[in-house]
Amino acid sequence: MILKLIIHRVARKRTCHVMLMALVLTCAVSCSDSKSSSGPLGPRVVVVGFDGMDPRLCSRLMDEGKLPNLAKMRDAGGFKPLGTSIPPQSPVAWSNFITGADPGVHGIFDFVHRDPKRQCAPYYSAAETVEGDLGWEVDGFNIPLNFWPFDHQPTETLLRREGIPFWDYLDEAGIDVHIYDIPANYPPSKSKHGHMCCLSGMGTPDLLGSLGGESQFFGEGEKSRAVSGGFIEPITFTGEKAKIRLLGPEHTFLQLPERVKVDVDVYRDVKQKAARLEVQGKTILLKEGEWSDWCRLDYELSMPPFLPASHAKGICRFYLQQVSDTFRLYVTPISIDPSDPAGQVISEPEDFVTDISDALGLFYTTGFQEDHKALSNKIFDDHEYHQQADYVLEERLTLFDYAKQTYDDGLLFFYFSSTDLQAHMFWWDSDKKHPIRTPEMAKKYHGVIEALYQRMDGVVGRVLAEYGDSSTVLVMSDHGFASFRRQFNLNTWLRQEGYIFPADCKSIMRVSGTGSVDWSRTTAYGLGLNGLYLNLQGREKFGIVTQRKRAAMLQEIKEKLLKVRDPEDGHLVVKEVYLTEEVYHGPKTADAPDLIVGYYRDYRASWSTSLGDISDVMVSDNDEAWSADHCMAADEVPGVIFSNKPIVATGPRLIDLAPTILQALGVSPPAAMRGKNLFEMTHTALAADGE
Amino acid sequence: METLGDILVGGANWLWWLYEAVISLALAAFGVIDVVLNPVLSTVLRVLNPIGNVLGDVVYGVVSVLSPAWGLVIISAITGVVMLFMFKYTSNQQAIVAAKDTIKANLLALKLYKDELRVTFLSQWRLMLGIARLQWHMFKPVVIVLLPMLVGLSQMGIRYQWRALHAGEQAYVHVYMDEPLSHEVALEAGAGAEVEVGAMAGAGDYAWRIRATEPGVYTLKFLVDTETIDKELVVGDGLERVSVERAGAHWVTQLFHPVEALLPSRSAVSRIEIKYPDRESWIYGSDYWVLTFFVISMLVALVLAPVFKVKF
Repeated sequence: MILKLIIHRVARKRTCHVMLMALVLTCAVSCSDSKSSSGPLGPRVVVVGFDGMDPRLCSRLMDEGKLPNLAKMRDAGGFKPLGTSIPPQSPVAWSNFITGADPGVHGIFDFVHRDPKRQCAPYYSAAETVEGDLGWEVDGFNIPLNFWPFDHQPTETLLRREGIPFWDYLDEAGIDVHIYDIPANYPPSKSKHGHMCCLSGMGTPDLLGSLGGESQFFGEGEKSRAVSGGFIEPITFTGEKAKIRLLGPEHTFLQLPERVKVDVDVYRDVKQKAARLEVQGKTILLKEGEWSDWCRLDYELSMPPFLPASHAKGICRFYLQQVSDTFRLYVTPISIDPSDPAGQVISEPEDFVTDISDALGLFYTTGFQEDHKALSNKIFDDHEYHQQADYVLEERLTLFDYAKQTYDDGLLFFYFSSTDLQAHMFWWDSDKKHPIRTPEMAKKYHGVIEALYQRMDGVVGRVLAEYGDSSTVLVMSDHGFASFRRQFNLNTWLRQEGYIFPADCKSIMRVSGTGSVDWSRTTAYGLGLNGLYLNLQGREKFGIVTQRKRAAMLQEIKEKLLKVRDPEDGHLVVKEVYLTEEVYHGPKTADAPDLIVGYYRDYRASWSTSLGDISDVMVSDNDEAWSADHCMAADEVPGVIFSNKPIVATGPRLIDLAPTILQALGVSPPAAMRGKNLFEMTHTALAADGE
Repeated sequence: METLGDILVGGANWLWWLYEAVISLALAAFGVIDVVLNPVLSTVLRVLNPIGNVLGDVVYGVVSVLSPAWGLVIISAITGVVMLFMFKYTSNQQAIVAAKDTIKANLLALKLYKDELRVTFLSQWRLMLGIARLQWHMFKPVVIVLLPMLVGLSQMGIRYQWRALHAGEQAYVHVYMDEPLSHEVALEAGAGAEVEVGAMAGAGDYAWRIRATEPGVYTLKFLVDTETIDKELVVGDGLERVSVERAGAHWVTQLFHPVEALLPSRSAVSRIEIKYPDRESWIYGSDYWVLTFFVISMLVALVLAPVFKVKF
């Protein structure tokens, strides 16, 4: 009897095991094929950020019936020009958006800042790479040992933007935040409560560490040289075979650091107008004019023999421009591999980017994806640049679909760069002559921007169809656009007016020899695209202007600047000069330029001004392919704000968006945010706010 | 630190040399064994592969009504049961029980007489003998099960490791040969694909980029000098079997690529390869299917062993 009972129990136990196993398998297999269901949805805000979308062009196209979805929002009271940042530069503007505050709080005033302790040494404003300890010197290497008792500090990149991003308040409130490609957030800010995921955008470097991205171009008969935005290298065929080397990151563990490289064998077939590339065991066949898919590159960073080699993983695409007559091969900047970033943090959490890559494959991870420098360097022609930019857009549209599929509630923010980086190269709404195109071609390529806006309108239409009834939808841009026909050299003007000495000074960066600056007599200098600094005593290393004279001198420079006329046609050049202590509010104002120079449409600071060079001519033609810009007076290039809800506020500004989003998601904005809710603000309240 | 560095560098260099020596020896040993094994195994696989292909088509034809994940789970579970029975009837179950009893008894003796040195040593010796005996009794069924198991796995591999090309998808095709430039080659893609680029000679092969056009099983015809060689191409969206490679007579390639006939021994071509994409799924996708198969088949075998009174 007892035996029977035991057998029965054992049998029952086995049956249980079998059933349990079957249950586990069923769950596992079922889960692999199905999407998990979720509970009731919370409030939703969908923000689509079109960098550089311009209200004038939008209005015209809406009036012409070419942007039906945006027009629908406008007709329901959901459209206004959006006050941009001072100055209207992308890192500044997006930092305003992110923090709901002006540069006095977040400390980003320009693409380029200067270190007054080193007089005017320039550096990139949004992120800083802090060199680590050298480490243990062994066998030709410096090996950082980041554990006790050595505790060597590794080299790391820090986000310099200050202030609290608005999504931190959502994160704290337990509201999910999904952010894709947002500028001015590299390295991505951390989520303290695990509700925020973010893919960093503009500002993310390529694998070589370049913020703008460095492409590599190989051409027969070329001379080896570095250009802004890349490298040009010769390619020499023996028979029909050649070898090229793709530059990778610098191997900083070596005592004599050098760039690591990946060899690529190139075979060409002139008859077929095709080439074969052999890259680390992978074959790529391309016909003339074809782009390859993404190709993984594994850069091996050698180590001493007792340690395994380290690896840097990148991805690139090849573009076979030409085979017959001459051979031309373009390689995109090497992006950090999203499927295996190998220690490079480009998302928060770190595996967010690999999750995306698991679903979508490989994609651009560099901050600047459209290779405008290839067009400027004449590696691309207009058509080729448009084609490359279009690939970028296609990829981002796929990413946007993914973002929507994985979004349930909370905030979804998605950024499109195409409206900015295509506009920089193709926008032209001036009656005057285009720097590099005939009037017909200028008109044709401005049409590219119009077509792009129409395409983006389609994106908005899909967003409205999916979320319009159940969510707050915001479509915004950080600034607008204008033709950039004439360039103003601020430092040339300052030298001419006697603020920079001596009269033959060629650069404020030159401290000795011919053309150097004399800081003992220089009172003001320009740096960055809109910044003007006094050589202030006690702040600048060689400062001479006293605090007592500061205000008067700023007023004097301001008045003079507002009277500057273009020698070509007598047009005023400078529309606004902002005294930063009047327009910024916050502790970082002390680090800001003293004046921000705001130009009229058609004008911008010259290319040489941004890094302190001084040309002979004060105002000259812009002769670059980069023929449109927005680094002008803020009211010359406002952005746009569209919503599926009526915008009550008059004169909405970028800093109003953070409090608007917070309130739409049920979170009270902190007192530090100076902006107001767009859906509640009244004219009186705006006037009281004084901006 | 400097001395420590020198010691580490010297030690690591020596270890690296040792590692390379061991690998070279192992490869040399494998080469010798391969020379002996290849004629036998290659011949056996020439017979087994067609049978495996037919059985594979039947089995996967039946489970094709299910999702690929469920198909793999069911096949793995059935394989677990079949292997369990094969083990039961090809092994000496009584001898296995006896060997396990010996092991248990000696483990107990070690515990009980830990103060008796003579008993301890004797038990350890007997324990080792027991383990060796158990291994020996396991060896025979494992050898018998091994080959059909490998053939079965190879049938799974050609369905789960890679997937067929989708219509409109690109793929690369390689024909490997010595000194490619000394041969005239051409590819007739036929109805299922179109040639986009090629033939492009590389260091030891010609490559083509093809684009699949519509679902089906097709034949790519390669004209190499005066020789015509066929290679199967599969286009589809389901769980079609794909033949990645067609090669000459070698048991390893025959095992991994069992579908197509071997290349003629005097052919200028050593192998033809189509770069099919990996199948993507964390249950039945590339490489994961092996894990799923082993976990499920072993779990089933472990759970059912007491039910069917199988000892191992």
